[in-house]
Amino acid sequence: MSGGPVSGLLRPGRIGRLAGWAGLAAGIGLTLVFAALPVVWMLATSVKPPGEYVTTAARLLPETPTAQHYIGVVDAGLLRQLANSLIVTAGATALSLVVGFWAAYALTRLPFPRRLDLVFLALVLVIKLMPPIVVAVPVYQILDALGLIDTLTGLILSYQLYTLPFAIWMLLGFLADIPPDYEEAAAVDGASTGRAMATIVLPLAAPGLAATAVFTAILAWNEFLFALLFINSPSTATLPLAIANRITEDETLWGPLMAIGSLASLPVLIAMAYLQRHLLAGFSGGLR
Amino acid sequence: MPRTLLAAGVVATGALVAPIAPALAQDSLVIAGRDGVYAEAMAWLIDAYAATNPDVSIEALALPYAGLYERAVIAMREEAGAFDVVLLDDTWATEFMSEGWLADLDALGADTDGFVDSTLAVSRYPYGEGTLHALPFVGNVELFAYNRALFEAHGLDRPESWTAVVEAAATIDAAESDVDGVVFRGTKGNPIVTGFLPILWAHGGRVVDEAGVAAFDSEAAVAAVDLFLSLKPHAPEGVELYNSSEVRDALQTGTTAMAIEVWPSWVPALDDPSVSQVVGDVEIIAAPGQVEGPAPMLGSWLLAIPADAPNPEAALDFLSFATAPEQQRALALEIGLPPTRAAVYADADAVDAYRWYPAQLDALENAQPRPRITRWSEIESILGDYLQLALIGEISAEEAVAEAHARIAGALGG
Amino acid sequence: MHRDNHRRLVLLIAPALVLLVLLAVYPVVRVAVLSLFETEYGLDGAVYVGLDNYRTLAGDRFFTRSALNTLHFTVAASLTQVGLGLAIALLLDRPFPGRRLVLPLVVVPLMLSTMVVAAIWRSWFHYDFGFLNALLGSVGLDGVGWLFDRDLTLWSIILVDVWQYTPLTVLILLAGLSAVPREVVEAARIDGAGRWRIFRTITLPLLAGPLALALLLRTVDTFKIFDKVYALTGGGPGLASEVLSLFVYENGFRFANVGIASAAAMVMVVIAGALAAVYATWMLRSRAR
Repeated sequence: MSGGPVSGLLRPGRIGRLAGWAGLAAGIGLTLVFAALPVVWMLATSVKPPGEYVTTAARLLPETPTAQHYIGVVDAGLLRQLANSLIVTAGATALSLVVGFWAAYALTRLPFPRRLDLVFLALVLVIKLMPPIVVAVPVYQILDALGLIDTLTGLILSYQLYTLPFAIWMLLGFLADIPPDYEEAAAVDGASTGRAMATIVLPLAAPGLAATAVFTAILAWNEFLFALLFINSPSTATLPLAIANRITEDETLWGPLMAIGSLASLPVLIAMAYLQRHLLAGFSGGLR
Repeated sequence: MPRTLLAAGVVATGALVAPIAPALAQDSLVIAGRDGVYAEAMAWLIDAYAATNPDVSIEALALPYAGLYERAVIAMREEAGAFDVVLLDDTWATEFMSEGWLADLDALGADTDGFVDSTLAVSRYPYGEGTLHALPFVGNVELFAYNRALFEAHGLDRPESWTAVVEAAATIDAAESDVDGVVFRGTKGNPIVTGFLPILWAHGGRVVDEAGVAAFDSEAAVAAVDLFLSLKPHAPEGVELYNSSEVRDALQTGTTAMAIEVWPSWVPALDDPSVSQVVGDVEIIAAPGQVEGPAPMLGSWLLAIPADAPNPEAALDFLSFATAPEQQRALALEIGLPPTRAAVYADADAVDAYRWYPAQLDALENAQPRPRITRWSEIESILGDYLQLALIGEISAEEAVAEAHARIAGALGG
Repeated sequence: MHRDNHRRLVLLIAPALVLLVLLAVYPVVRVAVLSLFETEYGLDGAVYVGLDNYRTLAGDRFFTRSALNTLHFTVAASLTQVGLGLAIALLLDRPFPGRRLVLPLVVVPLMLSTMVVAAIWRSWFHYDFGFLNALLGSVGLDGVGWLFDRDLTLWSIILVDVWQYTPLTVLILLAGLSAVPREVVEAARIDGAGRWRIFRTITLPLLAGPLALALLLRTVDTFKIFDKVYALTGGGPGLASEVLSLFVYENGFRFANVGIASAAAMVMVVIAGALAAVYATWMLRSRAR
């Protein structure tokens, strides 16, 4: 520090605050770069001609953007795999929502004998925490016995291992927050449980169902292990599988790879834009 | 009762699930195939086939080596009827054929005239004389490549022994700053083993003996592993993860003087100035010997029809098409796939394009297959794990040989 | 009325129960049984070997190394994610212009499929043409063998996991921070407490719950690690990044050593069960609070 007269602008307090702001800005800048740079690189590489990424130069943005990789992967049948991913995601989500809603309804509304509800909850929790590879061999054998290997139906069914415990836990929180008074009033008026569930609880739980649906869908959309094990043909492959098959041992085909990556990420990023408020509850699985 | 919801749920799930049950058209073929150049060849074939058979729809998987093996084995073991045609490395053939996973092509009426004998022998089970279960598709044989221009510049002769290979690698590595002495596939599993086996054989070592019993634990094997390890200091950084494309690039860019393992299908463009910087410089020869003479190693790819294939007749038609002389010649010229038809090697255009074809045919005809045992893939994987542990310096050559032997013996005994 | 309740209960809970029994309970029981046999697939032709498979595992270099690597990965990845997440959450908790835009951007990695993440980072780690080595090269440094240097490989995979999942811990901790009463902090500041002191005595104790939640969630999840290793290294070089899930996968699906794979899977079940117990205890306590 020089010993000159301290100007009004550089009073110690203000220097401290300026330094604080600079530190904050630098920290946020670094965080942003760390989080976003790989994604920017993916989007940029997906429109670079091969000569621009098979290089030792550290260039991020494309010089001559090209759509060739997108055209190439679509020609190679990617739309089929996109459709498969959509079907499996929709199917697994719908099944989990319906079955999960019934279970969560029962757990929050009906009396269980001998605290069996706690046993059931413990079971759901353990399954949610269990590494899926543990049951991969038997689940393969079950699907095989049912003739569901290499079918989207088989994936939808097996994904319930991930999505159902998740949906039950998340819905449990939402349903517990809806007071049972309305249904009791309806019951007095002679409405059946099914009708009360459909006309009273369902509308009240709609926001919770929507949030659960999105997070269940993300789980199914991104799933890889079971797709790897239970799917054989390209016509039934999902997007993560298509990506894995392209991270081959032989080539650095990053352009097509990043084109698929970008296409696969787009629906989820759009969903996220709608869901900002629910992010936390969703990702921690409503486990609190 | 929640009947309304139940009904809604059933309808919703049913509507989602019903239309996606696999709807296999009558004339559709699913082929389990490889990636890279094999995928190019398959795509070319499918186009050519579609031109004359417009009513057959074909889809082909392009899988990496280990991925194809896993997928094919799982599909066969479960009899899922997933594939009509599978592309098989001949090292997997014994397992697939002895398990009864492949259709009998003799019974289906396949024609075997004109194939190179060594490739036909591995298509039969038992080896050589048994029932035909596949047709040879790619006539690969393991060869050795060295950059003659570089060798001459350093006063070196064509390497005749593995010791000479190490010496040449050291000489060139020390003298040239931009050039490594030698390159090989260091990736664990099949790649590292494939590069190593010719060295083992040249030292007189074996993984399993004639009777199919583990025979790896020998001084010859230790010497072979030691020699293999002594190549690494003269190899490029990161050779532990190298696979075929890295080996090919190292050779074609002239940044490596030798490749201990080259398959003809990798290097069709060696003399193509648009991709190669070493036009006319690289010689492709049979691998060197050591205590035993050179024994080229067979690595053919076979096309087979699973026993549970949904569409065997259509599959055989495709197989016959893919391995017919015209297609074999076209694939050699267009894609650089080594043919299994002896006649193609004598074709004037083909020899024009690939000056090493006569030598290649000679090597192919004399090529030795890898052990014809059912569990070779598992043995290979065990060997690959330990070789790589030795390569990254985690265990010594002696430990690698002893531990790999014990495990191989266990796998064969169990 | 009472019987009616029971019938409703059964009807509502049965579908979920059937699915979970089919996909989890029966499979785990089957795995437990298969772990006592030497078998290539199922129980047909299986040979009963008692605890031999477990003994084999104990003496197997590949298994013990997988277990150690999994432990290393789980501890290092989850602790880094919680530590880094705390730093970032503290940063983002302060008001600054553009905060509403920054937050979603920071969360993006969390939304990508693990396969997409692996594809990006595998390209970045490429020794010759990867972005990371290109960056190092542009400032005159030598390239790094991210995926083939055996001392580095596991850390490279940890880096990828940290990139993907730190946003989750950030979200959890941000929610926790929003519950810290501003008045208390303000009062402490007026009393002359320094920033560090306020953090240590007020913020951190209030964050204990969210920190524990973040750590538990990440521990449980990192223990399952499969996709990233499968796509980035396949467990190599050597055994440097071999993990338990991959060990089970290779033995169960590649080599048809279903007995060995089942025994290894049972070891994972026990560890996961212990984690679940910690989790459940913690959850019940925090619910009771």
